[in-house]
Amino acid sequence: MSRLGDVEPRVIDDHMLKQAVGEQGPQEEAGQLAKQEGVLFKDVLSLQLDFQNILRIDNLWPFENLRKLQLDNNVIEKIEGLERLTRLVWLDLSFNNIEAIEGLDSLESLEDLSLFNNRISKVDSLDALVRLQVLSLGNNRIANLTNVIYLRRFKGLRTLSLAGNPVAEQDDYKMFVCAYLPDLVYLDFRRIDDHTKELAEVKHQYSLDELKHRENLLQAQQEDEQARREELEEHKAAFVENLNGPFLFESMYAEDVEGSKLACLPGVGELLETYRDKFVIVCLNLFECGLKQQEKRKAELDTFSQCVQEAIQENQEQGRQRIAKFEETHLLSLSAIRDASELTTLETRLVACRERVAELFNALMTLEMQLAEQLEETISLFERNIADLVGLFVENVQSLMAQCRDLENHHHEKLLEAAINTLEKTVKGELDEDLPDDVRALFVDKDTLVNAVGASHDVHLLKIDSREDELVTKVHAWCTHLLDRIHRDEITRNRKRVKEISQYADHAQTELDALECAELLD
Amino acid sequence: MEVLKEKVEEEEAAEREEAAERAERGEKAMWPMEVQKEESTVTQEMLRDLERKLSEIEVSIPEKPSTFTKDPIDVSKLPLSYQSNTLKEEHLLQVADNFSRQYSHLCPDRVPLFLHPLNECKVPKFVSTTIRPTLMPYPELYNWDTCAQFVSDFLSMVPLPDPLKPPPYLYSSATVLKLQKGNCFDFSTLLCSMLIGAGYDAYCVNGYGSQDLCLMDLTREVCPLTMKPKEAVQKEEKAPPKKYAIRPPRDLSSRFEQEQETKRQKAIQDEKEQRLRQEEERLMEEESAKTDPLYGKDDDHFLGIESLWNHKNYWVNMQDCWNCCKDLVFDLGDPVKWEYMLLDTSKPLLSLTEGDDSEMSEMNDEDDVENLGKEDEDESFDMPPAWVERIEISPEAFETRCPNGKKVIQYKRAKLEKWAPYVNTNGLVSRLTSYEDLECTKILEVKEWFQNREDMLELRHVNKITGLIIDSFKPGHPQALRVHSYTSMQPERDRVMEFYETARVDGLIKREETAKTMTEYYQGRPDFLSYRHVDFGPRVKKTALNSAESNPRPVVKITERFFRNPEKPADEDVAERVFMILDERIQLRYHCREDHITASKREFLRRTEVDSKGNKIIMTPDMCISFEVEPTEHTKKLLYQYEAMMKLKDEEKLSRHQAWESELEVLEILKLREEEEAAHALTISIYDTKRNEKSKEYREAMERVMHEEHLRQMEAQLDYLAPFLAQLPPGEKLTRWQAVRLKDECLSDFKQRLIDKANLIQARFEKETQELQKKQQWYQENQVTLTPEDEDLYLSYCSQAMFRIRILEQRLNRHKELAPLKYLALEEKLYKDPRLVEILKVFV
Repeated sequence: MSRLGDVEPRVIDDHMLKQAVGEQGPQEEAGQLAKQEGVLFKDVLSLQLDFQNILRIDNLWPFENLRKLQLDNNVIEKIEGLERLTRLVWLDLSFNNIEAIEGLDSLESLEDLSLFNNRISKVDSLDALVRLQVLSLGNNRIANLTNVIYLRRFKGLRTLSLAGNPVAEQDDYKMFVCAYLPDLVYLDFRRIDDHTKELAEVKHQYSLDELKHRENLLQAQQEDEQARREELEEHKAAFVENLNGPFLFESMYAEDVEGSKLACLPGVGELLETYRDKFVIVCLNLFECGLKQQEKRKAELDTFSQCVQEAIQENQEQGRQRIAKFEETHLLSLSAIRDASELTTLETRLVACRERVAELFNALMTLEMQLAEQLEETISLFERNIADLVGLFVENVQSLMAQCRDLENHHHEKLLEAAINTLEKTVKGELDEDLPDDVRALFVDKDTLVNAVGASHDVHLLKIDSREDELVTKVHAWCTHLLDRIHRDEITRNRKRVKEISQYADHAQTELDALECAELLD
Repeated sequence: MEVLKEKVEEEEAAEREEAAERAERGEKAMWPMEVQKEESTVTQEMLRDLERKLSEIEVSIPEKPSTFTKDPIDVSKLPLSYQSNTLKEEHLLQVADNFSRQYSHLCPDRVPLFLHPLNECKVPKFVSTTIRPTLMPYPELYNWDTCAQFVSDFLSMVPLPDPLKPPPYLYSSATVLKLQKGNCFDFSTLLCSMLIGAGYDAYCVNGYGSQDLCLMDLTREVCPLTMKPKEAVQKEEKAPPKKYAIRPPRDLSSRFEQEQETKRQKAIQDEKEQRLRQEEERLMEEESAKTDPLYGKDDDHFLGIESLWNHKNYWVNMQDCWNCCKDLVFDLGDPVKWEYMLLDTSKPLLSLTEGDDSEMSEMNDEDDVENLGKEDEDESFDMPPAWVERIEISPEAFETRCPNGKKVIQYKRAKLEKWAPYVNTNGLVSRLTSYEDLECTKILEVKEWFQNREDMLELRHVNKITGLIIDSFKPGHPQALRVHSYTSMQPERDRVMEFYETARVDGLIKREETAKTMTEYYQGRPDFLSYRHVDFGPRVKKTALNSAESNPRPVVKITERFFRNPEKPADEDVAERVFMILDERIQLRYHCREDHITASKREFLRRTEVDSKGNKIIMTPDMCISFEVEPTEHTKKLLYQYEAMMKLKDEEKLSRHQAWESELEVLEILKLREEEEAAHALTISIYDTKRNEKSKEYREAMERVMHEEHLRQMEAQLDYLAPFLAQLPPGEKLTRWQAVRLKDECLSDFKQRLIDKANLIQARFEKETQELQKKQQWYQENQVTLTPEDEDLYLSYCSQAMFRIRILEQRLNRHKELAPLKYLALEEKLYKDPRLVEILKVFV
């Protein structure tokens, strides 16, 4: 392989991997076993592929549990094919021909990354590596100190090497790095002493303060955003999002062309104002009621799940005790059977043992059946209660929405009246001249006006109806979803337990069978 | 009533004979009861036995107390207040006499009042002035119970000269403390002084008590230390069932059968309960009994009260004491029940409300007959200050406590001995011996309390019947021992050692041993080990004659249990592992998952087998039997199992080693305990300046150093001008001429002294050289005839002489060198001398 001159670039293939795994796997006795059985790639924790002239990283996807991967001293040009190695902790890509950092977005547990002696000129695309502690970027082509600022986001970073880069030749290099990365302990494999740290901090104090301020602002903004999102989520869970203000009212007028036209009429402005105030109050009532109901539902759900948990725990405890008791006697009788010499006593003992196993199986199953029955009862009770709660909430919502509709009707009448008044005035020619043209177009005749007002009214009612429908359907959907989930959970739990019990009993039986066989053979 | 936390003071109630008779009756009444308790069926023989026993009982009538004489007191040394009365005191005595006269006139059938007994100097003093409220500088004496306990320990009891009368003398508390003994009146006066000083509203009482009480005889009391502490009954509060609590499973058993069963059981239960209730009642009675008869008030031992007083006033009891002290009302403000001597403006216990004023005045009217004369006199009269000297208890006396530091109290079936700390060399401070029988011949158990032990031993409990010894230690034992219970100090016997687990690196809490097993309990270990049980086999006899220690018992089985390690998944976290060393079998049981009831198990059988071709089989599937709750692929692999087994093999070795180390540690502890027991050294606090030898030495050394330093300073301040100044007339200012002369004289004198010294050294040097020369000459002349001894003598003389000469030579040289310097230094000093500087500076 090791020819002089240009060597042929290679690709990672099955043969290479098998060889590497075989060489690096267990040795001696364990090695024999490993050979005999073969080692699965997914059981490998550490893999070394250095000095192999690898050009392209490929075929590494079966190593799901790999923790340490060494690919140094190859001719790799691009970081790729590492997406599946999510549990990687240590990655060595030094002495390659890599030009850009990329393809590391899925390696969330990576702690140690070496990119020494490559052709990298920019530090980025490392955002996913939240646990990064050691970063080696020596002998690269990094020329700009701003790359260091990028590294501020890694709170766990303790060791950094940048020696051999153009950047390291700058006078200010060391001070700059120390100032901008205050948590760093080792720079270029040397410990940073406290004195240097202080000096650096003093030197870059002003620019650092500015940077910190910007960072803080950004963070505060993000937090605000987060808080707002959370609040909205909460409101959504209560199905009353956007009801704690004039959102609904505004949305009613958003698509209403005639309404905004009619708002310019004399007297309508005031009318609209009072209408809006009243409407918002009703909306707020609805909102409050929604939150309250949500809390009630939550408390109900909490007590339910707590009780169910307690019941399950208690049942488990009983089961465990039974098993412990069984095991105590079982172990004794097993050793007795092993030591027994006479065939007849052996037979009787085996039979007794089998009976005990069956007894345990029955007891455990009874316990489980009991629990399943009890839980079923409890679940149906909860089902009824939660349905009641939901029904109550829906009723509340409907009555409040009816109030909204009443307000709308009332407003409609008033508006109509005002419009007709205005029409009469227009007819009489007493109207002031300050109406825009498109509004004036409405006052051609009475029918047009009534139609316009009616259209506005219809739009409003439609909005209210759709909001109500949305709310009610969401609540019902939530309810059915919740109940489905509870039923499903209970069923899976039951299946699991039954499976567990039968598995245990089977194991005990097979153990006995094996013993019997062995005795018979003797 | 609670306010009266006084020590009730009493006299004999009835005639001596009566008391003795009653005691006899009491004992007689008690004895058969005891016997019946022990033996349920009484046979003829037993009755005879009982008769014999009863005849054996001697009612111990205390011998007539010899006339009560106290040690002679040097009256002359006592202060003036002891020897005479002030005007005010005289006045008070007159008032008291008047009161006494009126009282005896109105109540002729009552005993005369105890008002003004004679003191050490045979001067009558009013009882209230004998109380001198004092706060002692010991925190222990701030509380009534510990204070009373101290008084009863500190003084030894002397019976009254006449049990039916108050004593003619009442000494001051200071004298009583000096003598460390006294009668009941001395006891109560001292205690009252201390309690009032500590802020209690306490009174001295003159009254009647039972004989046992008056003679401090506790032989019929149950020792408070033997009583078991009340078990706090904790009622578990059951949380109300929640809304969605599951219903209990349906009860399918027959109700009729149950009823029948309950009926049958009820009969038995009733009987039991009745018995229990009786038992409880008896217990309650025992518990409510006062811990020390020195301070009880509803006690049967207190039979009546004549009068009581504190440092301010004197009251006479006007109530009937037919029912002992149980019905007495201790409202001293009630003039019907308590007749006061001095009109006190602050009646402390007047519990009547304002509204009852009229009623009160009526009562006062009734009492007018006796109050009339008194009130006129007593107006604005208050008690004169106490005549008693300050009550002082030295720290040594306080620590020694009992006279000579030892006290023995005999209780019913128990004996309590107390010692002051450091009296016993092994630190024993008290010992409680419990007996099986009333005669105190069969010892049941012995409890010994220790203090200041270097090995931190606090309590030793010896059960004489089972032979079990339980040693309890305070924190600080070198091996962190807490409790050690054993029957013998030999290793490999039954024993339990408990430890202060936080003081131990390995977190061991408890180690139990039997002849064949050793069980250890741990807590807070990083490897989560909680329990290790080791079974030992019989010791193999070795052919080589090694000592027993180097031949450890073979380990048969090791069982280890672990706490749950929250960082590992339950399927990989071992809960229990058993190494069966002889079978070469290893069993593992894992922890149970949260939502499971079964736990994974694994069993390794390690037998080296050889296959048909003669190759060693490394690992076969039947060498590892495992049950997994949720089977995973990788655990089925032989490689995995092989590695797990190899690891377990190493751990087995480690566990065996640890078992061996534990055995060694037991031996070590036992050895250490034996050494400590033999040495029983006591620790001395660094604050204890009296006992702490080291600090004493240090202090003395410091004092010595200080003294020497002082002397040196004195020397340094020696005035070199003094002899010359003395020649001049004193008090006059020096003239310049005088000053110059003074200086010159001083200098010349010093020069002379330096020359003299040089001459002296020179002379000695010459003398020494001459002598040596002579000796050498003599030696050369007689060299032939000399014996070897003489020659040796000569040689040693020579070397010594040479040494002396050399030293003298050196001194001379040094003197020559230093003399001019010293001379210059003196001159310099003289120039700077404050007395001369003014005059001499002109020349400088």
